[in-house]
Amino acid sequence: MKKVWNQVAYNLKKDRSSYISFGIIILITALILNCAAVLLVQVDPAYVAKFEKLNTADINVLVPEFRHNSDVEAALAELSGIEKAESHEALFLEATVRDFLDTDFAMNTVFYKLEDARTMNTFEMVSESENEVKNPIYVPLYICVVGGFQVGDEITYVLNGKTHIFTVAGVIEEMQYGNYGASMMCAYLPEDGFQALAAELDGKAVVEYSLTLREGADLEKTKETVSKELEKEGAMMLSCLDRQKVKTTRNQVCNLLILILTAFALIILAVSVFLSNFRVKNAIESEIVNMSVLKALGYTSGQIVAGISMPYAMVALLFSALGVGVSYAVLPLLASVLTFQSGFSFAVAFDFVSLAAVVGVLTLVVTFFTVISAGKIKKTQPIDGLRGNSGSKQSKRNPLPLAETRGNTQILLVLKQMFACKKQNVLLFLVCFALTVLVAFSGTLFYNVAIKPENFMSALSDETPDVIVYSENADVTALQNKLLAEPNVENALQYVTGSVKIGDKTATVFACEDFSKTRNDVCYEGKNPQKADEIALGNAFAENYNIGDTVTVKLGDMAKTFQVTGFVQSVNLNGELCTLSMAGYESLSEAPVIPSLYVYLKKNTDAAAFISRIEERYADMVSQTANAQKLMEEAQSMYMGITVVLTVVIFIVTVLIVLFILYIVIKSLLIKRRQELGIYKAMGYTSAQLIWQTAGSFMPVSVAAILLSSVAALVYMPGIFQVIFEALGVMKHSMEVSLGFLMLFAAVEIILNLMISIILCMPIRKISAYALIKE
Amino acid sequence: MKGNKQTIIEAKNLKKSFRTGDTEQTIFENLDLNLYKGDFTIIMGSSGAGKSTLMYSLSGMDRPTAGEVIFNGKTITSLNDDKLAIFRRRNCGFVFQQIYLLDKMSLMDNVLTASALCDESKKDVIRRARELFDLVNIPEVTQKKFPSQVSGGEAQRAGIVRAVINKPEVLFADEPTGALNSGNSMAVLDVFTKLHNEGQSIIMVTHDKKTALRGNRVLYVRDGKIFGECDLGRYTEENKEREAKLNDFLMEMGW
Repeated sequence: MKKVWNQVAYNLKKDRSSYISFGIIILITALILNCAAVLLVQVDPAYVAKFEKLNTADINVLVPEFRHNSDVEAALAELSGIEKAESHEALFLEATVRDFLDTDFAMNTVFYKLEDARTMNTFEMVSESENEVKNPIYVPLYICVVGGFQVGDEITYVLNGKTHIFTVAGVIEEMQYGNYGASMMCAYLPEDGFQALAAELDGKAVVEYSLTLREGADLEKTKETVSKELEKEGAMMLSCLDRQKVKTTRNQVCNLLILILTAFALIILAVSVFLSNFRVKNAIESEIVNMSVLKALGYTSGQIVAGISMPYAMVALLFSALGVGVSYAVLPLLASVLTFQSGFSFAVAFDFVSLAAVVGVLTLVVTFFTVISAGKIKKTQPIDGLRGNSGSKQSKRNPLPLAETRGNTQILLVLKQMFACKKQNVLLFLVCFALTVLVAFSGTLFYNVAIKPENFMSALSDETPDVIVYSENADVTALQNKLLAEPNVENALQYVTGSVKIGDKTATVFACEDFSKTRNDVCYEGKNPQKADEIALGNAFAENYNIGDTVTVKLGDMAKTFQVTGFVQSVNLNGELCTLSMAGYESLSEAPVIPSLYVYLKKNTDAAAFISRIEERYADMVSQTANAQKLMEEAQSMYMGITVVLTVVIFIVTVLIVLFILYIVIKSLLIKRRQELGIYKAMGYTSAQLIWQTAGSFMPVSVAAILLSSVAALVYMPGIFQVIFEALGVMKHSMEVSLGFLMLFAAVEIILNLMISIILCMPIRKISAYALIKE
Repeated sequence: MKGNKQTIIEAKNLKKSFRTGDTEQTIFENLDLNLYKGDFTIIMGSSGAGKSTLMYSLSGMDRPTAGEVIFNGKTITSLNDDKLAIFRRRNCGFVFQQIYLLDKMSLMDNVLTASALCDESKKDVIRRARELFDLVNIPEVTQKKFPSQVSGGEAQRAGIVRAVINKPEVLFADEPTGALNSGNSMAVLDVFTKLHNEGQSIIMVTHDKKTALRGNRVLYVRDGKIFGECDLGRYTEENKEREAKLNDFLMEMGW
C-alpha cells in the first residue's frame, strides 16, 4: 500500500494545478447537484410537515351561505372516505388589492374570521404587529413577499366596487389559499371587521367545508362523492380545492428548478468524466516509460492503476464535499426564490443523505471511469513501454501532407496539429457541444423574456389587455363605444370571468364577445367558441373529452349542454378552465351579465395616463379600473430578473468550465509537446506564431461543436421548451429560438474560447529552443 | 577578413556562466573569435569543455552571459527572443545529435514546416526540398515516412535537409553523427562535405577525429578559451597529410 501512496503523492505533487482545476469542476457539479438533491429531499417533506402541522384539510369546498344547514355538514361527515368535516363562515368574492407591486391585483379572495375556532386549516403567524392597528387584516405570506407589504402597512382592497383600507396587522402562513397558482387568496379579519364587511357584502357570504380523508381513501373518488352529496343537498359548489391540486401549483417552480439543476449538473458531470479520462490517458502516454520502469521493478498493474486513479478519487471526494458545503450558502437564496412562488417559507437544513449521495455518486463515477481508462496500462508490456510504445496504435496516416495539399503551409500546420490530437478533439467537441446546449437554453430563455417578452408572458398568462375597465351600470356597450372612440384605443372587448361546474369539477370560465380579437390565443387545439352552444375546455378536461363531444356545464342552478370546439390552456388554473362565447355565458347565467371591458391600447400608449383620462372623462360610467399593462410589466420584470440571473450564472459557469478544461488540455499539451515546440523555436518560429498555431488548433473543433450545437438547439430547443411548459400545464407556447441571438452567443463563446486558449498558451514563451539541448 | 575570407561571425569578450544557488560556474570568459564565410569549422574539446555551449551562443540559440556576437555585421546578442527567432530562421540551420525531427510528421513535412517561414513560393520550396532529398539520397517513398519508420541515418539526413532548406548563412551541427553507426555516419558526413563543397558555411561540434577531418579549420576549446586552432585545408578522400596534421594538433592540445 505504501508503494501506491508514494505514486499517488508523486502524481498529485507533479500536476497540482491540473488536479485543482479538475477539482473546481467537480466542486461546481457537487454544488449544483446538492442544491437539486436538497430541494428534492427537503421541499416535499417540508411541505407535507407544514401541511400536517397546520392540520390542513384534504378538501376545501365553498358553498353559498344560504345553501348551508347543519344537515349538509353532517351528511358530508358521514360520507365514506371522510374522517372529519368542519365548517366555517367566510366571505368570498373577487378582490382587487391596490398598490400590489405598484399596481392593482385582482384575485378571488376568501375572508375568514380570525377568532374562529379551528381544528383544521389553522395558520402560523409569521409576524404580527406589536401595537393595535386601525382596521386590522392578516394577509398570507405571498401577499407580503410578492406584493411588497409589511406589517404596519396600509393595504387597500376594492370589494364590490368599494374601497376598504386595512392595516396589515400580521402575516400568516397557511397551506390552502396562500398562493397565486390556485387562483385563490385568503385574508383574516377580526370579528368586528368581518361582521362589518359581511354586512356590506350582501350575497358574498359563504360556508367553507373542510374535510379530511380517512387513511387510504382515494382523493379523486371522495371529491366526486362530496360533489354528488352537495348536489343532492342543493348546495352549489363555488370552489373546490384539494391538497393535490394546491401542492402541484405551489411546487411547480420548485420541481422545474430541480429538473433544470439536475440536468445542468449531469451535463457538467459528463464533462468531468470526459476530462478525467483524457487526463488519465494522456498521463499514461507521457509517463509510459516511468510506469514501465515500475512494472519492470515488480509493481503490479493494479498498483499502477491505483496510483493513477486514486488522486482523481481523492480530488473528487474532497472537492465534492467542498461543493456540497458551498451549496449551503446558495440554498437559502434558492429557498427564498421558492417562497416567492410557493408562498410557504422553507428553511434549508443540513442534509446528510444528500451529502452522502452527491459525494458518493461523484466519487464513484469519477473513480470508475478513471480505473477503466487507466486499465490500458495492464495491456502494455514493460519492454514496450520502455521503448516508448504505450500500446496505442501509432498513426501511420499523414493527414494533409504539406507537399501535396494546396494552401498556406502555416494554416495547414494548424490543421495537422488538430488532426494529431484526436482525444483532445473529442474532449473539446463534447465539452463545447454540451456547454453550448446550456448557453443556448439560457440564451433562448433570455431572448423570450427580455427581448421578446410577449412570447414568454403569453405562455404564462391568460388574456393580456392593457387596461381592464368595470362599468358602473349595466349598459356596458355604451361605455365600450365611448372607449373605442378614444384616440389611443385599438380595441375594447367585453369579457367575463366566472366559475362553473363541468361534471364534478369546478372550472374558471372566460367568456368573450369575440375570441379572435383577443391578444393571447390560449386555444392550443381546435378553435375557440363562437356560437352560443360552443365551448372550449381546459387541458385538465382533455383526457375525458374530444372535440365534437357534448358537455354539460352548470352555473348556479342553470345547466346547459355545449359542444366542445377546442382545448385551451392556463398555467395558473391547473387546466381547470373553459371558454364560452358571450352569448353562451349569458344563456347559462340566471342574473344579467355585466362584463368588464378589456381595453387594448395602441403601441407605446401609457396605460396609467389612459386610466387617469377615462376615470376623469367617464367618471359616471366607470366604477373601477385595473392597469393590466403595469401588472404584466411587473411580472415580466420579475421573470426577467430571474432569467438574467440564470443566464449570467450559466454563462459564467460555462466560461469557468471551458477555462478549466482548456487549462488542463493546454497544460497537458504543453508538457507533451515541450520538445516539439523547442524544435519549432530552433527552426525560427516565434513564440507568437506558436501560441497562435496552438490556440488556433483548438478552434476548428470548438467552432464545429459550437455551431453544430447551435443548429441542434435551433431544431430541438422548441421541443425542450415544449416539455418544460407542458410540465407547467402550458400546451402551446410561442417561445422562439432566434437564429441571430444563437449566433451571437455562439460567436461570443468562440471568441472567449480563442482568448482563453491564447492566454493559456502564453507559457510557450518560456519554452526555449536551447532547453532542448540542455534536456 | 582573413586573407580573402570574409568574417561571418565575430565574438567579442564572450562569457557564459551558469548559476546554481550561490555557485557560479563559468564555461568560458573573455573569448574572442572570428569565423569565416565558406569555412567548415570544427569545434573540438574534451567533454564538458563548453564546445556546444559556445556554438549555441554563436548561433543565437542561447544567450551569452556577457560579450557580443556579431553575425554578418549585425549584433545578435541585443535582440529579443522573437527577433532572435526571426534571425535564426533567416540565417541559421541546425542539425542535432538527437536529430529532433517532429515525430508526427513525415520527413517531407518536417522539411516544409521549416520552409513555411521563408518568403519563397511553396512550389519552389517543394522543388528545392526534392533536390535536397536527392542530394542526401532519400528516395520519394522514404520522404513520406514518419521519423519512427526510417533508420537513424535517414532521419539525420532528413534533419540536414530541414536545416538547409531555407539556405542559411551558416549550418550549425552539434555532434550530428554521435548517435549513428559508422555506415550511417559516413553517409551523413558525405552530405556535409557535399554542402561545404557547394559553398555552405558549416560550424560543427564533434569529439570524433574522423568527423573533424571533414572540416578545413579546427578550433580546440579548453579551460573556457580557444586553446588552439589548426588549418587543415579542404577535405579530400585520400589525404594522409591532413589526418597526420590533425593528430599532431590534437596531441599538442592534450587530447
